[in-house]
Amino acid sequence: MKRALLITLNEVKLYLQDKGDLAFTLLLPIVTFALIYGAFSGQTLFKATASIVDEDHGIYAAQLIGQLDGIDGISIEMLAPDEARAKLDSSDRLLVLDIPAGFSAALEAGGRAQLNFWQRGNGGLEGQILSSIIRGVADGMGKAFLITSQVKENLQGTGVTESQIDAAVQKYLDAERLTPALGVKEEVVGGATDLVTQYLPGIVTMYVLFALTMGARAIVEERRKGTLERLLTTRLTAGELFFGKYIAAIARGFVQTLILMALAYAVFRMFTPVTFLESLFIVLVYTAAASALGLIIASVARSEAGASWISTVFTMFMVMLGGTFFAVAPGSVFYILGRISINSYANEALRKIIAEGGSLGDVIVPLAIFVGVGAVGLIISRLIFTAVPGGK
Amino acid sequence: MAEEFVVVKDLHKSFKDFKAVNGVSFSIYKGEIFGLLGPNGAGKTTTIRMLSTVLEPDSGDITIGGHSVRREPAAVRAIIGVCPQELALYEDLSAFENMVFFGRMAGLENRQAREQAMKNLELMGLEDRAKGKVAKFSGGMKRRINLAIALMGSPDLLFLDEPTVGIDPQSRNHIFENIQGLQKKGLTVLYTTHYMEEADRLCNRIAIMDGGQIIANDTSHNLKSQIGPPDRVSLEDVFLKLTGRSLRD
Repeated sequence: MKRALLITLNEVKLYLQDKGDLAFTLLLPIVTFALIYGAFSGQTLFKATASIVDEDHGIYAAQLIGQLDGIDGISIEMLAPDEARAKLDSSDRLLVLDIPAGFSAALEAGGRAQLNFWQRGNGGLEGQILSSIIRGVADGMGKAFLITSQVKENLQGTGVTESQIDAAVQKYLDAERLTPALGVKEEVVGGATDLVTQYLPGIVTMYVLFALTMGARAIVEERRKGTLERLLTTRLTAGELFFGKYIAAIARGFVQTLILMALAYAVFRMFTPVTFLESLFIVLVYTAAASALGLIIASVARSEAGASWISTVFTMFMVMLGGTFFAVAPGSVFYILGRISINSYANEALRKIIAEGGSLGDVIVPLAIFVGVGAVGLIISRLIFTAVPGGK
Repeated sequence: MAEEFVVVKDLHKSFKDFKAVNGVSFSIYKGEIFGLLGPNGAGKTTTIRMLSTVLEPDSGDITIGGHSVRREPAAVRAIIGVCPQELALYEDLSAFENMVFFGRMAGLENRQAREQAMKNLELMGLEDRAKGKVAKFSGGMKRRINLAIALMGSPDLLFLDEPTVGIDPQSRNHIFENIQGLQKKGLTVLYTTHYMEEADRLCNRIAIMDGGQIIANDTSHNLKSQIGPPDRVSLEDVFLKLTGRSLRD
């Protein structure tokens, strides 16, 4: 057993040394996650920088800039007037908001104030969106001033101080902002809110399977290098060697999945602590089954290229049948065909836990299938695994 | 009479219809360097694979240090070291990591493996490169590491399958001196090579294989005597006389 674990440790060490393999198995899934995050996460897709020239430096200019800065997706860039004009001249910026001198003083005096947009051409698409947003903020501020001044006018001579009026009006305006009289509700159609839970389990299981079956290539490579044969002339038994490789495959797949799921936990808030642990357990058992399948590929393949091809075709076949990229309707032909893919069971089990609030008790059948596939896969791969042709 | 450390009796191994080893018998005395020569495809590597427990013979028996390879393979593996013909190293690991790993596989505890790794690296003149990745080593250095790994666990019997292929004369001489030094300490060696002068210089006795059979087995001097005055003929002359001049690949 000790020697089997040493084989595992050595395998992990070699995996960590191979930067290309590391990049493939860890970075590629993260990139895929990032793409999905960008596409379906529900966060604003519009990100822009508002270039502002503040010639006023007054309290209301600061208030306007603060409100703009608080809008999701907008960052603020403060420019000096000359700098802004130079950037516009060179088309480095297409739109700049100018807050002219006297802006705050005019508002404070109850007069009218004006904001200026300096723009090149039509300001560009980003500039047009920005100007709409700025107009909205300015409009809100303008209405607040209007309301405040009208209230002050109506209460003139009643003994209510201006500061009391300001505080009261501000309180009502804040309440209005939180629960507006005229609200807008966003309703996402086409099941988009489920896209993350639809795709992420599939992507997790796909990459695990891909990494594990590609791990088969590493074993074939070791056979080619002669290190497998050399190991079998030491005190290490073939059983220990095989078990060590199996544990290494599980460790490798599980660590990769742990990273991906931790990312999903942190970024998508897909899990509660309990569902996170339950999902990890499902993935661990699934990884054990997938590792056994990877060992069958390692036992069958006679070259690294052969192992790569078998792994790729096998993984793609399992992934497609597993309903990774689209929902499969129960009872359909595709659903029935998908029953031969362990990915379909893994995806369903994960979705049950993540999206439907299920527990491990609800996924006993997939777990039993993984244990069965792992056991049968291990037996088959052990029976056909040979370090050298005609040897043990 | 010297003690027979390796006894091979009527060994047979076929791959489908091809008889790779066909009735091979020989013995190796303790502390002896025994040369196994033969053209490509003669059956040398298959014989070594059977002796080192990697391949199971179809029939025949092999005893090493009193242990039957068929019945007690674990006991046999505990007393042998194998330096394969192809470099069998983890190129992404350092020389030291390779040595320690194979030392652990040979049954050494971590501390013992580390100590022995340093000792064997010094023996091979590679102590300064212990932490270097094997991938960056020259061919000669890799060959020396390949041999040093075979010495991990202090085996009683060492299999050297063409250990000097593709290296410079300095590295080759270094390996020879090491092998001779180890022999003086009681190590038994089974040595295969295509370089006749190596076998002539190192081996106490030489067996020549061809077509899966041993066709000659004696000292270099006696083999040479079969075709002429030993001081006038070379081992290569004997080899070509016995195995013929036709190409085998």
